[in-house]
Amino acid sequence: MSSLTRTGDDRLYWRAQGERNRGLMGLFAVVAAFLALYAYLFPGLLSVAGVSKFAQSWLPLALVAMAQAILMLTGGISLAIGATVSLGAVIAATTMSGYFGVAGGIVAVSASGLAIGALCGVIAIRLRLPAIIVTLAASFIIGGLALLILPRPGGAIPGWFSDLLAGNTPAALGLVFLVALLWKLYLATPLGLSLYAAGENPVGAYRAGVPVDAARIAAYAISGLLSTLAGLFIAAQTGSGDPVIGQAFTLNSIAAAVLGGVGFLGGRGTMRGAIAGSLLLSVMINVMFFLGFPPVAQYVAQGLIIIGAVALPQLTARFRRRP
Amino acid sequence: MTPQAIIKANGLSKSFFGNPVLQNVSIALEPGRIHALLGENGAGKSTLINLLSGALAPDGGEIEIDGRSHRRLTPSEARRAGIAVVQQELSLTSDLSIAENIGLGAYPRRFGLIDYKALARKAREVCDLVGLEENLSTPVGDLPLGRRQMVEIAKALFRKPRILVLDEPTSSLSAHEAQTLTRLLQRLRQEGTAILYISHRLNEVMRLCEHVTVLKDGKVTADRSLQGVDAAGLVRLMVGRDPGDLFPHWTPSPERQTIVEVAGFSSGLLRDIDLDIKRGEILGLGGLVGQGQEDLLLGLYGALPASARRAVFNNVAGLPSSVSRANALGLAYVPADRKREGLHLIHSIAWNMMLPDFGKARGLSRRDPAAERKLATELADRLSIKGDLTRQVQALSGGNQQKVALAKWMPADPPILLLNDPTRGVDVETKREIYVLLRRFAAQGKAIVLSSSDTPELVHLCDRVAVMREGGIAALLEREQISEEAIVAAAMGAEAAKVAA
Amino acid sequence: MSQANNSRFPAWSPKALLRNRAFLTVAIVILVWIVAGFAKPGFGSYGHLRYLLELAAVIGLVAIGQTYVVIAGGIDLSVGAIVTVSAVGVPLVALSGDGGGAFAVLIILAAATSIGFLNGLGVAYLRIHPMIMTLAMATFLQGVLILIAGGTAISAQNPLLAWLGNARIIGIPAGVLLWAVVSGAALAVLHATPFGARLYALGANPLASALSGINVQATTMAVYAVSGLTAGLAGVLILGMNGQGYVGIGDPYLLASIAAVVLGGTSILGGSGSYAGTIPGAILLVTITALITVVNASAGWRSILFGSLILLLLLLSGRESQRR
Repeated sequence: MSSLTRTGDDRLYWRAQGERNRGLMGLFAVVAAFLALYAYLFPGLLSVAGVSKFAQSWLPLALVAMAQAILMLTGGISLAIGATVSLGAVIAATTMSGYFGVAGGIVAVSASGLAIGALCGVIAIRLRLPAIIVTLAASFIIGGLALLILPRPGGAIPGWFSDLLAGNTPAALGLVFLVALLWKLYLATPLGLSLYAAGENPVGAYRAGVPVDAARIAAYAISGLLSTLAGLFIAAQTGSGDPVIGQAFTLNSIAAAVLGGVGFLGGRGTMRGAIAGSLLLSVMINVMFFLGFPPVAQYVAQGLIIIGAVALPQLTARFRRRP
Repeated sequence: MTPQAIIKANGLSKSFFGNPVLQNVSIALEPGRIHALLGENGAGKSTLINLLSGALAPDGGEIEIDGRSHRRLTPSEARRAGIAVVQQELSLTSDLSIAENIGLGAYPRRFGLIDYKALARKAREVCDLVGLEENLSTPVGDLPLGRRQMVEIAKALFRKPRILVLDEPTSSLSAHEAQTLTRLLQRLRQEGTAILYISHRLNEVMRLCEHVTVLKDGKVTADRSLQGVDAAGLVRLMVGRDPGDLFPHWTPSPERQTIVEVAGFSSGLLRDIDLDIKRGEILGLGGLVGQGQEDLLLGLYGALPASARRAVFNNVAGLPSSVSRANALGLAYVPADRKREGLHLIHSIAWNMMLPDFGKARGLSRRDPAAERKLATELADRLSIKGDLTRQVQALSGGNQQKVALAKWMPADPPILLLNDPTRGVDVETKREIYVLLRRFAAQGKAIVLSSSDTPELVHLCDRVAVMREGGIAALLEREQISEEAIVAAAMGAEAAKVAA
Repeated sequence: MSQANNSRFPAWSPKALLRNRAFLTVAIVILVWIVAGFAKPGFGSYGHLRYLLELAAVIGLVAIGQTYVVIAGGIDLSVGAIVTVSAVGVPLVALSGDGGGAFAVLIILAAATSIGFLNGLGVAYLRIHPMIMTLAMATFLQGVLILIAGGTAISAQNPLLAWLGNARIIGIPAGVLLWAVVSGAALAVLHATPFGARLYALGANPLASALSGINVQATTMAVYAVSGLTAGLAGVLILGMNGQGYVGIGDPYLLASIAAVVLGGTSILGGSGSYAGTIPGAILLVTITALITVVNASAGWRSILFGSLILLLLLLSGRESQRR
């Protein structure tokens, strides 16, 4: 009879979400500090145009960070993110000005992302091959496909579509929120939430009746989708397709996810962390630019921050263990 | 009226890599009855559970549910039939909340999404049953071990099982939690649930259960009502086997010099232990699983951080700070989980035998393949490991694997051997060979520390037995005091001690 | 005695040879060379094959360290950056009085080894996942390099390097000879010393290795240091062959080194494999790349064929799947 009388049970979903924020407060604070610093250095940020511009530089990184994080949650990893981004960009640039138009292009980009991701997933999960090598091989194949479709930068994105996404509108920011919202929706499905169990304790999850393999393959498919969508956005930004434009995103996606507290062994971390990690990376790059650092100093800082972010908990744990 | 069994296993057999683990085992679970499953470690209890829950397929025999017989039960069939298992090792996800863990795999849905309202309601119901007061949104990773165990039980109840299997559910529970569990089980019994209960705590079994099945070396040695059986009788049922000539004749060794001496030794679970180990003796470590035996061995071996007021190893003062230091002091360690800790399964037999030498030798010196082959052949002959030594170790039976794990230390001829349950999952023939070997080592003046979950082993092999309980030495039995009853009694604590005495 | 030994240690049978990945990879390389030689005049010429070997030498050198690290159960994603460090670094430390240029090379090799050692330190003591540690190191180095060297190519005026890049000794390029010598040493260390055995132990079962008295931390640091050293050596060779270094020159060698290791049959899960397979793996890699160029395939097809080949070889070695 005491059921439901206990405080908070009826708000289980939101409270569980709140619990997941706990470990991220430090990260959120750092992100906020950097954002404030950025706004101070560049007051223009606090305008529609400023926000739009910043969100446009951030969105692709946010998407690939999510694409990597979802795989890391299942205990996998992808070295093919960059190539998939490129593929998305060239498909967008070659289809959107064609017969089926922008809508057809979006469908083509999404379908190819889902299909390629799912295929990688099936090979890695069903054939029990190590994800890192499967996706390494896939990166060559996918990158090759991109080169076949568009051997050199070219193609076109209709001007109105470019203006809509990457013009003087905060559409990119809206897209970040939309994708985050869709992710929350997915995580509220049984298959979505199973990701965590499939990543951390696959045997236990299997015994509890979780479709472990399906959850993991679905993660690969979603990861592919997010990557090609990032490519689509970049194509819209530049107005054309470039078959190698995505290369840097493979490593950046891992960096952002790690900064966001997503663990390598599966089941540890949150998508909001990965998004915050990508935001931190983006803001950091911008702030360093405004502080007059040469653009490459970001790499130095990025490397140090990643090592620091991972080593610090280890060191404090070791220090605490000492009597 | 005799209720019909919900689930019945008939003549189940199962072998792993040619070693029989279960032989012709039958068991029947009836509604409204708490059925105890007893047996020592390695008797086949966990395997039986895995067969009943569909996690493993039997080699022979069949499982009958509600009169329908299954040759091979799949996990989903077992779940649909209402079987829920609370495993010994937890199957929880630490980043998910209590409620999300409880509902995992059986979430209530609404429009394809998880219905968090319904989940909260149902999860609260089962949490009330097991006395979990925590917020349902608490991540399981934040809970202490005992509470996690209760979440695990709640997770099983969430599916409203008709058959509930609990594998040592109380091993990590506090007294209060154990009481809650007892009340819960009594209530479930009244509601007609069939319960299979596995525990090492005999007084618990005596209090709760009506019927008992005893497994011994993979065979059923008793299947009877608990009425008229006392704790001492249960002990006899479990350990009651004719030791036969499995064990070599015990003769005291002439050498009796102390070789290891520690005082105020702490490591892992262990707090403030005094212990001395003599040359020429086998010192047994007994007790229930996880009372600090492994921490003692690993602490002495330098593999676990340890401290001591006073420590002397082989005339050298101080604890070894690392494994290589311990090896240099003359210690060697044979782990219990040989697959995870003892052997390199993908490498060859000969290679595994050379491993300690690889660790010790100068890194960039030249290996001598001819000498390695000669040594490996000698070791294999000495331990009667037959056949091609270039085979991967994973191709060997458990017994032969254990021999390889032992053999690799022999070239160094260490005077102090630390053995962690060396005969677990080992066939009888190899057991006997290992026993003979250990007594021979003792006769040669080596000191042997033998931690074992097999009580007869301690009785027949050891010169002294230290019975461990909750991170301390509960009793140190001299040769003439050693008996199975004395060891079990000391391991179980005061209550059982009275019964056995 | 020898009689008894024979039953314990059976002699190599032809069957075992067929299951040997190193041998199989060599066979594939020879097969590809023969077929290509007939199909395409000029492919099989000595000059062309020598050119292929020169290209393979660089990948092969980087892959020594990668093979070691992978066998020991890790992965090194910083080798590309270390190659660049060395190719850009040697011209930068050109000192007066260092006429032969050996001193600059030694300083840079020491630096490369230290970078690897730092990777090992992070993995062994800070318990940072190898992928994160070496990735972060690569990112860090990339930034430092651009800060120091800027975006332009730097020419090297170093007699030793010029010799290394251009000299022929009885018709064999010095770079290929360097690779052969270092490979010999690498194979000897891997298969004939306790250190090599420790790598296999670490990769197969770190816990059992530690309990058998192997110093896991020291071995880990040493293996990443070796990886730094061989990547540094490869950078020196590239600089010699190219005459100039620039930031990004080492980037292609990261994935190439991993691919060579995998093509050579070393398990990415650690514990098994050999550099003996990586050598033909590296040659196969450049052969395929060249072949696809020769048959006029586009860059896209080249990449697709290349990726499919890795995947195919991975599928063929079903052993990986049983390990998990």
